[in-house]
Amino acid sequence: MNDGSVLRLDNVSVALRRGRGQVVPLLDQICLAVNRGEMTALVGESGSGKTLTSLAVIRLLPRNARLSGQIWLGNIDLLRLPQRDMRKIRGRDIGMVFQNPLASLNPSVRVGAQIREAYRLHTGESDHAACARARELFGEVGIANAKERLGDYPHQFSGGMRQRAMIAMALACSPKLLIADEPTSGLDAILTRQILSLLTRLRREYRMGVLFITHDLSVVQKYADQVHVLYAGRSVEWGSSDAFFNAPRHPYSRALLGAVPRPGQIRLTAISGVLPDPEAMPIGCRFSPRCAYHQAECDCRYPKIDHKGTTSVACCRAADIVSAHRPAGMPSPQYFRSTNDGAVLLKIDRLGVDYRHPAGGVLAALAGRSKSLRILDGIDLTLRHGECLGIVGESGSGKSTLGRAILQMVPYHGSVAFEGMAFDRMTRSRRKMMRRRIQVVFQDPRESLNPRMRIGDIVAEPLALAGERECREQVRRLLDRVGLHARMLDEFPHAISGGQAQRIAIARALAAKPAVIVLDEPTSSLDVSTQAALLNLLKDLAQQDGLSYILISHDVAAISYMADTIAVLRSGRLIEVGATAGLLAAPGAEYTRHLLAASFLYEI
Amino acid sequence: MIRMILTRLVSSLLTLAILITIVFFMAHATPGGPAFSILGQKATPQAVEQLNQRLGLTAPLWRQYLMWFWHLAHGQLGYSYLLNRPVRQLVGDYMVNTLALYASAMLLSVILAIVIGLIQGTTWGRWPANLIRLLELCFYAMPTFFIGTIMILYFSVKWRVLPAGGISSVRISDPGLLDYVRHLVLPVVTVALLGTASLSYYFGASVHDELGKDYVRTALAKGLTFRAVLFRHVLRNALRPLVTMVGLAFPYIFTGSMMVETVFNYPGLGYLLWRSALSQDYPVISGVVLLIGFLTVLGNLFADIVNGLLDPRERYE
Amino acid sequence: MSGMTTHPLRPLGGRLRRAIFSGVTEYLGERGTLMAGAALAVLVASFCLLGPIFCRASPYTIHVGDAFYPPSPQFLLGTDQIGRDELARLIAGGYTTLAVSIPAAILAFIVGIVFGFSGALGPIWLDKVLMRVLDAVLALPALILLIFFASLFAPSNSQLILLLGLTSWPGLARLVRNEAIAQRGRDFVHASRQCGAGTFYIAWRHLLPVIAPVLVVNGTFLVGDQILALSALSFLGLGIQPPDPSWGGLLQSGLNLVVVDPWWMIVPSGAMIFLSIAATNLIGQGILARMGETC
Repeated sequence: MNDGSVLRLDNVSVALRRGRGQVVPLLDQICLAVNRGEMTALVGESGSGKTLTSLAVIRLLPRNARLSGQIWLGNIDLLRLPQRDMRKIRGRDIGMVFQNPLASLNPSVRVGAQIREAYRLHTGESDHAACARARELFGEVGIANAKERLGDYPHQFSGGMRQRAMIAMALACSPKLLIADEPTSGLDAILTRQILSLLTRLRREYRMGVLFITHDLSVVQKYADQVHVLYAGRSVEWGSSDAFFNAPRHPYSRALLGAVPRPGQIRLTAISGVLPDPEAMPIGCRFSPRCAYHQAECDCRYPKIDHKGTTSVACCRAADIVSAHRPAGMPSPQYFRSTNDGAVLLKIDRLGVDYRHPAGGVLAALAGRSKSLRILDGIDLTLRHGECLGIVGESGSGKSTLGRAILQMVPYHGSVAFEGMAFDRMTRSRRKMMRRRIQVVFQDPRESLNPRMRIGDIVAEPLALAGERECREQVRRLLDRVGLHARMLDEFPHAISGGQAQRIAIARALAAKPAVIVLDEPTSSLDVSTQAALLNLLKDLAQQDGLSYILISHDVAAISYMADTIAVLRSGRLIEVGATAGLLAAPGAEYTRHLLAASFLYEI
Repeated sequence: MIRMILTRLVSSLLTLAILITIVFFMAHATPGGPAFSILGQKATPQAVEQLNQRLGLTAPLWRQYLMWFWHLAHGQLGYSYLLNRPVRQLVGDYMVNTLALYASAMLLSVILAIVIGLIQGTTWGRWPANLIRLLELCFYAMPTFFIGTIMILYFSVKWRVLPAGGISSVRISDPGLLDYVRHLVLPVVTVALLGTASLSYYFGASVHDELGKDYVRTALAKGLTFRAVLFRHVLRNALRPLVTMVGLAFPYIFTGSMMVETVFNYPGLGYLLWRSALSQDYPVISGVVLLIGFLTVLGNLFADIVNGLLDPRERYE
Repeated sequence: MSGMTTHPLRPLGGRLRRAIFSGVTEYLGERGTLMAGAALAVLVASFCLLGPIFCRASPYTIHVGDAFYPPSPQFLLGTDQIGRDELARLIAGGYTTLAVSIPAAILAFIVGIVFGFSGALGPIWLDKVLMRVLDAVLALPALILLIFFASLFAPSNSQLILLLGLTSWPGLARLVRNEAIAQRGRDFVHASRQCGAGTFYIAWRHLLPVIAPVLVVNGTFLVGDQILALSALSFLGLGIQPPDPSWGGLLQSGLNLVVVDPWWMIVPSGAMIFLSIAATNLIGQGILARMGETC
């Protein structure tokens, strides 16, 4: 079994045993290969089984999982190894990098010790040699000042540095294969790019195969050699990266690519419906209930794999879908609306927010801890009627705080004027009334709905607060407008999905009849396909009602799809503000250029 | 870290000050004032007047309040007229016994809790963990004075293997260490049962929690054995909440241990408080109350500091 | 500063108990836990309330010739040292125990909620003062306060209700306050404020329903706590006063005669205390598991 591949999965299936003899299939006949010195990207949305695949390779599945098939590492079948030998493979031949490095590193053990542990375990070298190796590794992954940083604890590292440390740990014994499970999720665009470049350099230097697991197709194009798309526990399409991005053949891959927002795009391709329940999988093609090309035979049996095209694909209709899929490149300026025609709605003048330590007072002063931190400073912004203002910045840039200041949720200095009247000049009752005109949709859909209220009551709340009694009919209409069925009225929030919850939050915001909605990362907790549908919905609502948005996001792609004007925020200060087309075409500030370069990994 | 200790210290002092104030006003709330408690409820008004003069109780309240602090600052807790000894001496003697009982019971509890918790945490959801849990439930819901009484009934009366109490007499007649320990066994085990029931489940749950965390998966992916992961990675993180818990559980387990003292006639603070409550000896009562409050605050401060030392995030903050 | 945001002097309260009893929930299933607890509670309550119908003996009558007898067909649980029927005393003692501890728990529950909410929603200075005082009071095990007050006067049963009720609310008050503050910062509250909701609306519509499970559960736990505290106090001779019987008092008189092995005076009264505490804890846990689903 040796054809230049480091890792080869043959018909790997994983099933979970539940109580009462129930068996839930989670992975079904996966065939996948990673070649020496190459990167294979395993792509799929949440619930597709991609993490399960990585855990299957190192055989760290939950106790009640049943694993079958063959997993070849070189010419060893890992599934036939006894646990003792498997332990020797882990860490020596296969290095693992997990997502969320803060949780994946032991918080109370020094980073250096965690790296040395892996090295000493497999090489049996002295502690001294392990120290030297750890320093060398830190150098390779680009952590300066190695000697001191090795003595630090994980919480003392920044997000990107932690992930570098994880990579250093995985590389300790120069493995043949590196499995990186969503190593960049939670990192901003610039860091993501850095980590991917690092992985690319290292795989060449070490001549190792990399299995890169991600939910985000857009990041892999430039870096992966092979792409493998999973859907609901089955491979739907795989092949070389070039061929795949040039002409994806499976409807799911095409939809996935179409769902990634690009500047100037008129509309995203949303995928309707939800992932099938693993306990009730369709007999035929698992994507068919959501497929635009669906026909009767798709439901009868699982499609045969077609190896004849540029990529291998599991779809009966691949041959019919031949029209080249070519996402648009950089758009021409006429795609964007002109933004200077509306009247000024919101005017933000020299806005600043200070953060004082919550444990203030005498005690804190005694302990010498009364200094306040300025998180926002000197923000000037204008929002016009019907405009969508995008605020983009990395985590910690103060963009959420800016949103909360506009919503009058946090104390600030400077002024926020709504329709020409500053909030701090208004009377109490007028202020309360005007606040209603600025509504909000938060990031976490679970947090933003009271778990003990019914959906109907949640949506009706703004109406009830305004003194309206009979609002059942209005609530029905609102639900209908956000694309939800009225039978949801009596459900509790825990019974609905994240995307639906976000729609409820939008319906509630609409119920207050706002002029502006502040959208604070509204899609960052959703899957790509759900995100596309939600962004489309927001666009439609804006057009119908003449709504204005302030869209806060770290995702430049989403912002550039939605916004007419973009404001770039960094460390609490505005770097640049400009009309979307102009800003994308010719960014003024160095930082904006940097951010844009890192964000559009998807290039044609 | 120093800042953390400083903040805690200041807030502990504040808590103590409030506590002292509360006890002061409680002492003044006694029917007829402290004089009655000294002379008894049937004292003549003249005698009361005389005593009040002597004790400075005719002074304005704020002055007495300040005097109270002044006395406390000099370690004076008053005088027990019933037992004819200064409260400070009295309370000091009894405190040593209480600390001996409480400390040995807690030591035993912590050791047992770690062993039991490790078994429970690693077998979570299967029969050993379930069985342990059932026992924990029983001993948690069972009052210590009931367990103590049952202990005496069986170990001292029926089977005659261990003495029931009366450690004070032992110390006078025969100060042998072995006999002293023999007298400690039943009270210590009784308190330790409560302590173990409280702590072991908590520790077991935190072992189980830690085992589910991502760093465990990382450690396993490095090729470590389960045993190595458990002792080198998980144990350290799981122990930290246990330290907090030992601090938090103090009032609860201390109450249990006070009740045990009364069951076994063990001359500790709980026993002293009980006897003086029955004889309405207020100087002693307020002395004991203050001392226990002081110990609680101290214990919590200590738990916080130990916890800070164990947690690198806290240490460097 | 992480992990130290809640004050270390917090009482053991529901956390540990919840931790312990949540295990039972896993084992019995949430319905099972509630059912087991409820069954136990019904058993204990009907023993205390309906007992007199079946056991017509008076708890005060002294049978001079039959003093200190082990269980027999005539005295199902034997007699005490002066010849009173132990079963009758166990029933009467249970009735008194419940009649005092349940009202006391209700009192503590109301006071605790009022203070907790005023801390969370009132002005900041009130919260600070309140929390400081609570810290100080909670630094003392509640039993010590009880012993102190009980030593001031030999309390009657209604005084005992006040005493128990007014010494045991601080733990609940802090819990309510902390929960309310934690929930107050959640996004759905912000969204409601944005639509013009005021403090009372938020407290009533949002905070109260969300923390209701915590309230119900801790209210149930409070009953158990009061039974334990009252029994301990009576055991020390400071609670329910002789000749009125109480579980704690029965246990104490058993202990006083322990050298002559009066197991029938010790085991039943101790078991009743144990069973009633276990019942409240099981019920609380069962409710928590059922309501927790929707949280």
